[in-house]
Amino acid sequence: HRRLPAVIPTPPVSASPFPNPKSQYCCLSRNFSAALTPLLPVQLPSRMETHLWYVVPDEVKSAPLLSKYMELLPQSERDHVLGFRGDQLQKSALLARTLVRTTIARYQVDGHLDPRSLRFKRNIHGKPEVEWETKDGFCPPPLQFNISHTSSLVACGVTMNSLIGIDVEEKRRRTKNNILAFAKRYFTAHEVEHLNAIPDSELQQQEFIKLWTLKEAYVKALGKGFSSSPFNTFTIRVNTAAQESFCASSGIAVETLDSPQNLTNNWQFALLELMGSHYVAICLERQETGGAGKAFPIKLTARKTIPSVEDELVSGTNAVVTIGGSVTQF
Amino acid sequence: MAAASASSFTSLKSRPAPGLATIAAVKSGAPLSFSFRRPVPAVSRLRISCAAKPETVEKVAKIVKKQLALPAETPVTGDSKFAALGADSLDTVEIVMGLEEEFHISVEEDSAQSIATVQDAADLIEELVQKK
Repeated sequence: HRRLPAVIPTPPVSASPFPNPKSQYCCLSRNFSAALTPLLPVQLPSRMETHLWYVVPDEVKSAPLLSKYMELLPQSERDHVLGFRGDQLQKSALLARTLVRTTIARYQVDGHLDPRSLRFKRNIHGKPEVEWETKDGFCPPPLQFNISHTSSLVACGVTMNSLIGIDVEEKRRRTKNNILAFAKRYFTAHEVEHLNAIPDSELQQQEFIKLWTLKEAYVKALGKGFSSSPFNTFTIRVNTAAQESFCASSGIAVETLDSPQNLTNNWQFALLELMGSHYVAICLERQETGGAGKAFPIKLTARKTIPSVEDELVSGTNAVVTIGGSVTQF
Repeated sequence: MAAASASSFTSLKSRPAPGLATIAAVKSGAPLSFSFRRPVPAVSRLRISCAAKPETVEKVAKIVKKQLALPAETPVTGDSKFAALGADSLDTVEIVMGLEEEFHISVEEDSAQSIATVQDAADLIEELVQKK
Protein backbone atom coordinates (compact mmCIF):
# COMPACT_ATOMS: atom_id res chain seq x y z
CA HIS A 1 0.00 0.00 0.00
CA ARG A 2 1.06 3.59 -0.46
CA ARG A 3 0.79 5.85 2.51
CA LEU A 4 -1.43 8.81 1.76
CA PRO A 5 -0.42 12.05 3.44
CA ALA A 6 -3.03 11.82 6.21
CA VAL A 7 -2.43 13.82 9.32
CA ILE A 8 -4.07 13.27 12.65
CA PRO A 9 -4.78 16.86 13.70
CA THR A 10 -3.52 17.61 17.18
CA PRO A 11 -6.61 17.90 19.35
CA PRO A 12 -6.69 20.89 21.66
CA VAL A 13 -6.54 19.05 24.97
CA SER A 14 -5.03 15.63 24.75
CA ALA A 15 -1.88 14.14 23.40
CA SER A 16 -1.78 12.01 20.27
CA PRO A 17 -2.75 8.42 21.00
CA PHE A 18 0.54 7.41 19.49
CA PRO A 19 3.06 9.51 21.36
CA ASN A 20 6.01 7.31 20.66
CA PRO A 21 6.06 3.88 19.06
CA LYS A 22 8.29 2.53 21.76
CA SER A 23 6.63 4.08 24.77
CA GLN A 24 4.32 2.14 26.98
CA TYR A 25 0.80 3.07 25.97
CA CYS A 26 -0.04 5.73 28.50
CA CYS A 27 -3.34 6.00 30.25
CA LEU A 28 -5.30 8.60 28.34
CA SER A 29 -8.59 7.55 29.81
CA ARG A 30 -8.23 10.19 32.46
CA ASN A 31 -9.09 12.73 29.79
CA PHE A 32 -12.10 10.87 28.54
CA SER A 33 -14.48 9.83 31.24
CA ALA A 34 -17.13 8.71 28.78
CA ALA A 35 -16.64 5.26 27.38
CA LEU A 36 -17.40 4.47 23.76
CA THR A 37 -21.04 4.69 22.82
CA PRO A 38 -22.57 1.24 23.21
CA LEU A 39 -22.49 -0.75 20.00
CA LEU A 40 -25.71 -1.25 18.08
CA PRO A 41 -26.49 -4.90 17.49
CA VAL A 42 -26.73 -6.17 13.96
CA GLN A 43 -28.35 -9.26 12.48
CA LEU A 44 -26.18 -12.20 11.57
CA PRO A 45 -25.81 -12.84 7.86
CA SER A 46 -28.05 -15.63 6.63
CA ARG A 47 -26.40 -18.72 5.18
CA MET A 48 -26.38 -17.25 1.71
CA GLU A 49 -25.29 -13.72 2.61
CA THR A 50 -21.96 -12.00 2.80
CA HIS A 51 -21.48 -8.89 4.89
CA LEU A 52 -18.77 -6.45 3.97
CA TRP A 53 -17.79 -3.78 6.48
CA TYR A 54 -15.21 -1.12 5.84
CA VAL A 55 -13.59 1.88 7.47
CA VAL A 56 -11.85 4.75 5.72
CA PRO A 57 -8.97 5.72 8.02
CA ASP A 58 -8.84 9.27 6.69
CA GLU A 59 -12.39 9.78 7.95
CA VAL A 60 -11.46 8.79 11.48
CA LYS A 61 -9.68 11.88 12.69
CA SER A 62 -10.56 12.09 16.34
CA ALA A 63 -7.62 11.31 18.58
CA PRO A 64 -9.91 10.72 21.58
CA LEU A 65 -11.90 8.22 19.53
CA LEU A 66 -8.75 6.39 18.49
CA SER A 67 -7.68 6.25 22.14
CA LYS A 68 -10.98 4.65 23.03
CA TYR A 69 -10.49 2.09 20.30
CA MET A 70 -7.10 1.31 21.76
CA GLU A 71 -8.79 0.62 25.08
CA LEU A 72 -10.86 -2.15 23.48
CA LEU A 73 -7.77 -4.16 22.70
CA PRO A 74 -5.93 -6.57 24.97
CA GLN A 75 -2.37 -5.60 25.77
CA SER A 76 -0.92 -8.00 23.22
CA GLU A 77 -2.89 -6.38 20.40
CA ARG A 78 -2.00 -2.89 21.60
CA ASP A 79 1.64 -3.84 21.56
CA HIS A 80 1.20 -5.21 18.06
CA VAL A 81 -0.38 -1.96 16.88
CA LEU A 82 2.34 0.14 18.49
CA GLY A 83 4.98 -2.04 16.85
CA PHE A 84 4.19 -0.51 13.48
CA ARG A 85 6.37 2.40 12.51
CA GLY A 86 4.57 5.69 12.20
CA ASP A 87 1.12 7.06 12.93
CA GLN A 88 -0.41 6.05 9.61
CA LEU A 89 0.50 2.39 9.90
CA GLN A 90 -0.46 2.27 13.55
CA LYS A 91 -3.80 3.85 12.79
CA SER A 92 -4.78 1.35 10.11
CA ALA A 93 -3.58 -1.54 12.28
CA LEU A 94 -5.66 -0.18 15.16
CA LEU A 95 -8.71 0.26 12.94
CA ALA A 96 -8.36 -3.29 11.63
CA ARG A 97 -8.42 -4.76 15.13
CA THR A 98 -11.22 -2.40 16.16
CA LEU A 99 -13.31 -3.22 13.11
CA VAL A 100 -13.10 -6.95 13.57
CA ARG A 101 -13.82 -6.81 17.32
CA THR A 102 -16.70 -4.38 17.16
CA THR A 103 -18.26 -6.01 14.09
CA ILE A 104 -18.22 -9.51 15.53
CA ALA A 105 -19.43 -8.25 18.89
CA ARG A 106 -22.40 -6.59 17.22
CA TYR A 107 -23.66 -9.91 15.93
CA GLN A 108 -24.18 -10.82 19.58
CA VAL A 109 -23.36 -14.40 18.93
CA ASP A 110 -22.97 -15.32 22.56
CA GLY A 111 -25.70 -13.07 23.81
CA HIS A 112 -23.57 -10.14 24.81
CA LEU A 113 -22.00 -7.30 23.04
CA ASP A 114 -18.56 -6.67 24.47
CA PRO A 115 -15.81 -6.31 21.88
CA ARG A 116 -13.23 -6.46 24.63
CA SER A 117 -14.14 -9.96 25.66
CA LEU A 118 -13.57 -11.57 22.27
CA ARG A 119 -10.64 -13.90 22.04
CA PHE A 120 -8.89 -14.73 18.84
CA LYS A 121 -6.69 -17.64 17.94
CA ARG A 122 -5.02 -18.95 14.83
CA ASN A 123 -5.76 -22.27 13.21
CA ILE A 124 -2.88 -24.64 12.58
CA HIS A 125 -2.06 -22.80 9.36
CA GLY A 126 -2.10 -19.40 10.98
CA LYS A 127 -5.53 -18.18 9.89
CA PRO A 128 -7.17 -16.00 12.55
CA GLU A 129 -10.42 -17.30 14.06
CA VAL A 130 -12.64 -16.39 16.96
CA GLU A 131 -12.13 -18.48 20.04
CA TRP A 132 -15.61 -18.71 21.49
CA GLU A 133 -16.06 -19.38 25.16
CA THR A 134 -17.37 -22.90 25.56
CA LYS A 135 -19.75 -22.83 28.45
CA ASP A 136 -23.04 -24.50 29.34
CA GLY A 137 -23.36 -26.36 26.09
CA PHE A 138 -23.00 -23.18 24.07
CA CYS A 139 -22.49 -24.19 20.49
CA PRO A 140 -20.52 -21.55 18.66
CA PRO A 141 -22.05 -20.49 15.38
CA PRO A 142 -20.09 -21.07 12.19
CA LEU A 143 -19.26 -17.37 11.85
CA GLN A 144 -16.46 -16.82 9.39
CA PHE A 145 -14.54 -13.62 8.86
CA ASN A 146 -11.50 -12.25 7.11
CA ILE A 147 -9.81 -8.85 7.26
CA SER A 148 -7.70 -6.91 4.84
CA HIS A 149 -6.25 -3.45 5.11
CA THR A 150 -4.14 -0.87 3.39
CA SER A 151 -3.31 2.53 4.84
CA SER A 152 -6.37 3.95 3.09
CA LEU A 153 -8.98 1.25 3.65
CA VAL A 154 -9.75 -1.35 6.29
CA ALA A 155 -12.27 -4.06 5.43
CA CYS A 156 -13.84 -7.08 7.06
CA GLY A 157 -15.97 -9.73 5.39
CA VAL A 158 -18.33 -11.92 7.41
CA THR A 159 -20.38 -14.99 6.52
CA MET A 160 -22.20 -17.74 8.29
CA ASN A 161 -20.52 -20.96 7.37
CA SER A 162 -18.75 -20.11 4.10
CA LEU A 163 -15.00 -19.85 4.29
CA ILE A 164 -14.14 -16.34 3.18
CA GLY A 165 -11.05 -14.49 2.05
CA ILE A 166 -10.91 -10.81 1.18
CA ASP A 167 -8.24 -8.54 -0.14
CA VAL A 168 -8.30 -4.80 -0.71
CA GLU A 169 -5.94 -2.63 -2.70
CA GLU A 170 -5.78 0.88 -4.04
CA LYS A 171 -6.69 1.01 -7.73
CA ARG A 172 -3.70 3.20 -8.47
CA ARG A 173 -1.20 0.93 -6.72
CA ARG A 174 1.89 0.64 -8.85
CA THR A 175 4.42 -2.12 -8.71
CA LYS A 176 8.06 -1.12 -8.57
CA ASN A 177 8.91 -3.96 -10.91
CA ASN A 178 7.74 -4.31 -14.48
CA ILE A 179 4.33 -6.00 -14.42
CA LEU A 180 5.06 -8.66 -17.00
CA ALA A 181 8.39 -9.54 -15.42
CA PHE A 182 6.63 -9.84 -12.08
CA ALA A 183 3.79 -11.90 -13.54
CA LYS A 184 6.19 -14.21 -15.35
CA ARG A 185 7.95 -14.86 -12.09
CA TYR A 186 4.92 -15.30 -9.85
CA PHE A 187 1.75 -15.86 -11.86
CA THR A 188 0.71 -18.61 -14.27
CA ALA A 189 1.19 -18.61 -18.03
CA HIS A 190 -2.48 -17.99 -18.68
CA GLU A 191 -2.47 -14.95 -16.43
CA VAL A 192 0.67 -13.59 -18.08
CA GLU A 193 -1.05 -14.00 -21.44
CA HIS A 194 -4.13 -12.23 -20.13
CA LEU A 195 -2.04 -9.27 -18.97
CA ASN A 196 0.13 -9.25 -22.04
CA ALA A 197 -2.94 -8.89 -24.24
CA ILE A 198 -3.76 -5.51 -22.72
CA PRO A 199 -2.12 -2.77 -24.78
CA ASP A 200 -2.79 0.17 -22.51
CA SER A 201 -0.26 0.25 -19.67
CA GLU A 202 -2.61 1.99 -17.24
CA LEU A 203 -5.30 -0.66 -17.80
CA GLN A 204 -2.70 -3.37 -17.62
CA GLN A 205 -1.60 -2.07 -14.22
CA GLN A 206 -5.20 -2.14 -13.01
CA GLU A 207 -5.77 -5.65 -14.33
CA PHE A 208 -2.67 -6.75 -12.50
CA ILE A 209 -3.99 -5.34 -9.24
CA LYS A 210 -7.34 -7.05 -9.82
CA LEU A 211 -5.63 -10.38 -10.41
CA TRP A 212 -3.43 -9.90 -7.38
CA THR A 213 -6.36 -9.18 -5.06
CA LEU A 214 -8.32 -12.16 -6.40
CA LYS A 215 -5.38 -14.46 -5.89
CA GLU A 216 -4.80 -13.16 -2.39
CA ALA A 217 -8.48 -13.55 -1.54
CA TYR A 218 -8.43 -17.17 -2.73
CA VAL A 219 -5.40 -18.11 -0.65
CA LYS A 220 -6.84 -16.34 2.39
CA ALA A 221 -10.15 -18.17 1.95
CA LEU A 222 -8.33 -21.50 1.78
CA GLY A 223 -6.75 -20.54 5.08
CA LYS A 224 -3.77 -22.82 4.67
CA GLY A 225 -1.10 -20.18 4.35
CA PHE A 226 0.58 -18.80 1.27
CA SER A 227 3.21 -21.49 1.06
CA SER A 228 0.54 -24.17 0.55
CA SER A 229 -0.79 -22.41 -2.53
CA PRO A 230 1.99 -20.55 -4.30
CA PHE A 231 0.57 -18.08 -6.77
CA ASN A 232 1.94 -19.94 -9.76
CA THR A 233 0.01 -23.09 -8.88
CA PHE A 234 -3.43 -21.72 -9.61
CA THR A 235 -4.94 -19.59 -12.35
CA ILE A 236 -7.70 -17.05 -12.00
CA ARG A 237 -9.80 -17.29 -15.11
CA VAL A 238 -12.15 -14.64 -16.29
CA ASN A 239 -14.99 -15.70 -18.54
CA THR A 240 -16.22 -12.96 -20.77
CA ALA A 241 -17.11 -12.74 -24.38
CA ALA A 242 -14.47 -10.07 -24.82
CA GLN A 243 -11.84 -12.03 -22.85
CA GLU A 244 -9.81 -8.88 -22.49
CA SER A 245 -10.64 -7.52 -19.13
CA PHE A 246 -13.09 -7.75 -16.32
CA CYS A 247 -16.57 -6.44 -16.81
CA ALA A 248 -19.66 -6.67 -14.71
CA SER A 249 -20.93 -9.84 -16.29
CA SER A 250 -17.68 -11.70 -16.10
CA GLY A 251 -17.56 -14.94 -14.27
CA ILE A 252 -14.40 -15.48 -12.31
CA ALA A 253 -13.16 -18.93 -11.52
CA VAL A 254 -10.05 -20.54 -10.15
CA GLU A 255 -8.29 -23.43 -11.78
CA THR A 256 -5.59 -25.29 -9.94
CA LEU A 257 -2.68 -26.59 -11.96
CA ASP A 258 -2.91 -30.09 -10.61
CA SER A 259 -6.36 -30.55 -12.10
CA PRO A 260 -6.37 -28.30 -15.12
CA GLN A 261 -9.41 -29.68 -16.83
CA ASN A 262 -11.65 -29.28 -13.82
CA LEU A 263 -12.38 -25.74 -12.89
CA THR A 264 -12.51 -25.84 -9.14
CA ASN A 265 -16.16 -25.32 -8.47
CA ASN A 266 -15.84 -24.98 -4.76
CA TRP A 267 -15.00 -21.31 -4.85
CA GLN A 268 -16.81 -18.26 -6.08
CA PHE A 269 -15.50 -14.75 -6.46
CA ALA A 270 -16.64 -11.17 -6.41
CA LEU A 271 -14.62 -8.20 -7.51
CA LEU A 272 -15.82 -4.78 -6.41
CA GLU A 273 -14.70 -1.24 -6.99
CA LEU A 274 -15.15 0.68 -3.77
CA MET A 275 -15.56 4.47 -3.74
CA GLY A 276 -13.95 4.58 -7.16
CA SER A 277 -10.59 4.20 -5.48
CA HIS A 278 -10.14 0.62 -4.31
CA TYR A 279 -10.56 -2.93 -5.52
CA VAL A 280 -12.03 -5.43 -3.11
CA ALA A 281 -11.78 -9.10 -3.99
CA ILE A 282 -13.92 -11.61 -2.14
CA CYS A 283 -13.55 -15.37 -2.36
CA LEU A 284 -16.21 -17.61 -0.85
CA GLU A 285 -16.66 -21.28 -0.40
CA ARG A 286 -19.62 -22.27 -2.49
CA GLN A 287 -22.49 -23.45 -0.34
CA GLU A 288 -25.10 -24.60 -2.79
CA THR A 289 -25.35 -24.70 -6.50
CA GLY A 290 -28.26 -23.98 -8.76
CA GLY A 291 -29.09 -26.32 -11.62
CA ALA A 292 -26.24 -27.79 -13.67
CA GLY A 293 -23.58 -26.71 -11.19
CA LYS A 294 -24.28 -23.01 -11.59
CA ALA A 295 -23.74 -21.02 -8.46
CA PHE A 296 -26.20 -18.62 -6.98
CA PRO A 297 -24.96 -15.05 -7.13
CA ILE A 298 -23.22 -13.74 -4.04
CA LYS A 299 -25.71 -11.82 -1.90
CA LEU A 300 -23.77 -8.88 -0.62
CA THR A 301 -24.54 -6.28 2.01
CA ALA A 302 -21.92 -3.57 2.24
CA ARG A 303 -21.65 -1.05 5.04
CA LYS A 304 -19.23 1.76 5.58
CA THR A 305 -18.67 2.29 9.25
CA ILE A 306 -16.91 4.25 11.94
CA PRO A 307 -17.06 1.80 14.85
CA SER A 308 -19.33 2.96 17.64
CA VAL A 309 -20.14 6.14 15.76
CA GLU A 310 -22.07 5.49 12.58
CA ASP A 311 -22.90 2.99 9.85
CA GLU A 312 -23.94 3.66 6.33
CA LEU A 313 -25.51 1.03 4.12
CA VAL A 314 -23.78 1.48 0.78
CA SER A 315 -24.66 -1.64 -1.19
CA GLY A 316 -26.45 -0.77 -4.39
CA THR A 317 -24.96 2.73 -4.47
CA ASN A 318 -22.11 4.18 -6.49
CA ALA A 319 -19.82 3.45 -3.62
CA VAL A 320 -19.83 -0.27 -4.37
CA VAL A 321 -19.67 -1.28 -8.02
CA THR A 322 -19.49 -4.92 -9.03
CA ILE A 323 -16.84 -5.32 -11.67
CA GLY A 324 -16.47 -9.07 -11.68
CA GLY A 325 -18.30 -12.15 -10.54
CA SER A 326 -21.97 -12.69 -9.99
CA VAL A 327 -23.18 -10.44 -7.20
CA THR A 328 -26.53 -9.16 -6.00
CA GLN A 329 -26.28 -6.23 -3.66
CA PHE A 330 -28.76 -5.70 -0.87
CA MET B 1 37.06 -20.86 14.71
CA ALA B 2 35.17 -21.68 17.88
CA ALA B 3 35.30 -18.04 18.91
CA ALA B 4 33.89 -16.97 15.56
CA SER B 5 31.07 -19.51 15.86
CA ALA B 6 30.34 -18.35 19.38
CA SER B 7 30.04 -14.74 18.29
CA SER B 8 27.60 -15.73 15.54
CA PHE B 9 25.22 -16.91 18.22
CA THR B 10 24.16 -13.37 18.79
CA SER B 11 22.14 -13.69 15.61
CA LEU B 12 20.15 -16.65 16.89
CA LYS B 13 16.64 -15.85 17.90
CA SER B 14 16.93 -17.54 21.26
CA ARG B 15 19.66 -17.20 23.80
CA PRO B 16 21.49 -20.52 23.64
CA ALA B 17 22.40 -22.57 26.63
CA PRO B 18 26.04 -23.60 26.78
CA GLY B 19 25.09 -26.98 25.33
CA LEU B 20 24.23 -25.39 22.02
CA ALA B 21 27.67 -23.85 21.72
CA THR B 22 28.98 -27.39 21.99
CA ILE B 23 26.97 -28.48 18.98
CA ALA B 24 28.25 -25.58 16.91
CA ALA B 25 31.79 -26.19 18.03
CA VAL B 26 31.49 -29.81 16.93
CA LYS B 27 30.03 -28.82 13.58
CA SER B 28 32.78 -26.33 12.90
CA GLY B 29 35.41 -28.92 13.67
CA ALA B 30 36.76 -26.97 16.62
CA PRO B 31 38.06 -28.92 19.60
CA LEU B 32 35.31 -29.77 22.10
CA SER B 33 35.48 -28.10 25.43
CA PHE B 34 34.72 -30.62 28.13
CA SER B 35 33.78 -27.97 30.65
CA PHE B 36 30.23 -28.08 29.23
CA ARG B 37 28.65 -30.77 31.34
CA ARG B 38 25.02 -29.78 31.02
CA PRO B 39 22.97 -31.99 28.71
CA VAL B 40 21.92 -30.38 25.46
CA PRO B 41 18.42 -29.02 25.96
CA ALA B 42 15.78 -30.15 23.50
CA VAL B 43 14.66 -27.36 21.26
CA SER B 44 11.89 -27.73 18.80
CA ARG B 45 13.17 -25.31 16.21
CA LEU B 46 16.82 -24.54 15.98
CA ARG B 47 18.72 -22.70 13.33
CA ILE B 48 22.42 -22.62 13.82
CA SER B 49 23.76 -20.35 11.16
CA CYS B 50 26.33 -17.69 10.94
CA ALA B 51 24.90 -14.21 10.87
CA ALA B 52 24.94 -12.62 7.46
CA LYS B 53 27.64 -10.09 6.72
CA PRO B 54 26.79 -6.52 7.60
CA GLU B 55 27.13 -5.55 3.92
CA THR B 56 24.38 -8.03 3.04
CA VAL B 57 22.12 -6.63 5.75
CA GLU B 58 22.87 -3.14 4.40
CA LYS B 59 21.94 -4.11 0.85
CA VAL B 60 18.70 -5.72 2.01
CA ALA B 61 17.86 -2.61 4.02
CA LYS B 62 18.46 -0.46 0.96
CA ILE B 63 16.16 -2.58 -1.22
CA VAL B 64 13.48 -2.56 1.48
CA LYS B 65 13.65 1.21 1.86
CA LYS B 66 13.40 1.65 -1.88
CA GLN B 67 10.36 -0.65 -2.19
CA LEU B 68 8.57 1.03 0.69
CA ALA B 69 9.62 4.53 -0.35
CA LEU B 70 11.14 5.19 3.06
CA PRO B 71 13.45 8.16 3.49
CA ALA B 72 17.10 7.12 3.25
CA GLU B 73 17.79 8.05 6.86
CA THR B 74 15.05 5.72 8.21
CA PRO B 75 16.72 3.38 10.68
CA VAL B 76 16.45 -0.13 9.27
CA THR B 77 18.42 -2.83 11.00
CA GLY B 78 18.53 -6.61 11.01
CA ASP B 79 15.77 -6.69 13.61
CA SER B 80 13.43 -4.54 11.56
CA LYS B 81 10.29 -6.41 10.61
CA PHE B 82 9.02 -5.92 7.06
CA ALA B 83 5.43 -5.68 8.24
CA ALA B 84 6.25 -3.09 10.90
CA LEU B 85 7.93 -0.95 8.25
CA GLY B 86 4.71 -1.03 6.26
CA ALA B 87 5.31 -3.87 3.82
CA ASP B 88 2.18 -5.70 2.77
CA SER B 89 2.22 -8.99 0.88
CA LEU B 90 2.76 -7.37 -2.50
CA ASP B 91 5.66 -5.32 -1.13
CA THR B 92 7.20 -8.44 0.37
CA VAL B 93 7.05 -10.32 -2.92
CA GLU B 94 8.52 -7.30 -4.73
CA ILE B 95 11.29 -7.07 -2.17
CA VAL B 96 12.08 -10.76 -2.66
CA MET B 97 12.13 -10.20 -6.40
CA GLY B 98 14.52 -7.28 -5.89
CA LEU B 99 16.75 -9.45 -3.73
CA GLU B 100 16.76 -12.20 -6.35
CA GLU B 101 17.94 -9.72 -8.95
CA GLU B 102 20.53 -8.06 -6.73
CA PHE B 103 22.10 -11.29 -5.53
CA HIS B 104 21.39 -13.52 -8.56
CA ILE B 105 19.56 -16.12 -6.56
CA SER B 106 16.21 -17.82 -6.74
CA VAL B 107 14.02 -17.86 -3.65
CA GLU B 108 11.44 -20.60 -3.22
CA GLU B 109 7.96 -19.46 -2.26
CA ASP B 110 8.00 -21.19 1.11
CA SER B 111 11.39 -19.71 2.00
CA ALA B 112 10.05 -16.30 1.01
CA GLN B 113 7.12 -16.80 3.37
CA SER B 114 9.41 -17.36 6.32
CA ILE B 115 11.10 -13.98 5.91
CA ALA B 116 9.85 -11.64 8.62
CA THR B 117 12.87 -9.44 9.30
CA VAL B 118 15.72 -7.90 7.37
CA GLN B 119 18.05 -10.34 9.11
CA ASP B 120 15.95 -13.31 7.92
CA ALA B 121 16.32 -12.08 4.37
CA ALA B 122 20.05 -11.49 4.67
CA ASP B 123 20.64 -14.91 6.22
CA LEU B 124 18.61 -16.62 3.51
CA ILE B 125 20.49 -14.75 0.80
CA GLU B 126 23.85 -15.83 2.11
CA GLU B 127 22.65 -19.40 2.42
CA LEU B 128 21.48 -19.39 -1.19
CA VAL B 129 24.59 -17.63 -2.45
CA GLN B 130 26.79 -20.22 -0.76
CA LYS B 131 24.84 -23.04 -2.36
CA LYS B 132 25.50 -21.75 -5.84
